[in-house]
Amino acid sequence: MKARKVKGLDPAGALAENAARIVRTRLDELCAFMPRAADPREVEALHDMRIAAKRLRYVLEITGPCFGPYAETAVKVAKEVQDVLGEIHDCDVQLPEVAEFMTRLEAADVRALGATVPAGAEDLDPALVAGAPHRGDYAGLAALAVHLQARRDLLFGRFLDLWTDLERKGFRARLEYAVTERSPAADGSAATVATS
Amino acid sequence: MAKAADIPVDPFEPYAAAGARSVRVRARELFEQADGVLDTGDIERVHAMRVTSRRLRAVLEVFAPCFDKAAHSDVLRDVKRLADALGERRDPDVHIAAMTAFAGAVAREQRPGVETFAAHIRERQAAGNVALAAELQRIEQTDLAGRLRALADTAAPPEEGDRPAPIAELPPGDGAA
Repeated sequence: MKARKVKGLDPAGALAENAARIVRTRLDELCAFMPRAADPREVEALHDMRIAAKRLRYVLEITGPCFGPYAETAVKVAKEVQDVLGEIHDCDVQLPEVAEFMTRLEAADVRALGATVPAGAEDLDPALVAGAPHRGDYAGLAALAVHLQARRDLLFGRFLDLWTDLERKGFRARLEYAVTERSPAADGSAATVATS
Repeated sequence: MAKAADIPVDPFEPYAAAGARSVRVRARELFEQADGVLDTGDIERVHAMRVTSRRLRAVLEVFAPCFDKAAHSDVLRDVKRLADALGERRDPDVHIAAMTAFAGAVAREQRPGVETFAAHIRERQAAGNVALAAELQRIEQTDLAGRLRALADTAAPPEEGDRPAPIAELPPGDGAA
């Protein structure tokens, strides 16, 4: 997912003013994925939302000390959202990998059984399946697929609970306010002030 | 894994000055983590370098408008390529560890399938290591470290702590004629 362009950045301008623009844009990008990402089938939206959370986290990690105290809390929140969405993404990547691997083993076994059929045979003896090279692998792969899907369901529930909690606590509004506050400069020359 | 150095920022300093400082620090941290990353017996090394590559990429993106556009574009592309190569090695490392734990937790008759799958992932890990070795060689040949320093200079000149030690401070016998 390409990051949204941030307008009005000025290299000669104050760090906090520029960083606030970036944070607001990244926060808006993150929040825009809801309610679409509340659908567990929206694999791509969930993946893109993870990237949006990562971008918000990084800009806050770098520039958060410029802002009010909630910016520090927001770093942890963004990381929490990124982490749970990352684990969901891992399941979404691994599930097709396991399925594809199982298909490859099945195809190899089909070829192996085919090679054992005597010339002129009218049918395939079911007992030959007991000699398929990968016969011992299927139980484990099926268990792995079941575990990944069940874990994905569990993680998705955790993600929804987390987002609901963030909305209840006013995450977006609090971070938007925090980026209007300024922490004192390193030399102590400025007090925390709210800007328009 | 080495903790990232704190980079002090002042809300009222120029955006470009903070950008130059951040890129210098995060670039230095990246190259400090390069030793031993191809050792598949110690998977934390590649993890540490991947984390530093992400931090560097983040500062390059956050401070993008502060740098010379063409130089920034070249450097960012190469940092992304390096980060991708580190990911191609790191992801199988994590996956293998998860499969090992899973195989240890399931019933005995389910283990062979999980172990066969883990062996398949080991092939990806080996391929990832080859690709990472090539990428490490490429960044050295194209002097990514030097290009990052030059890029930072396009935003702001080095500050006191960023300057190389003067020759007079080198220990005797280091060729300071």
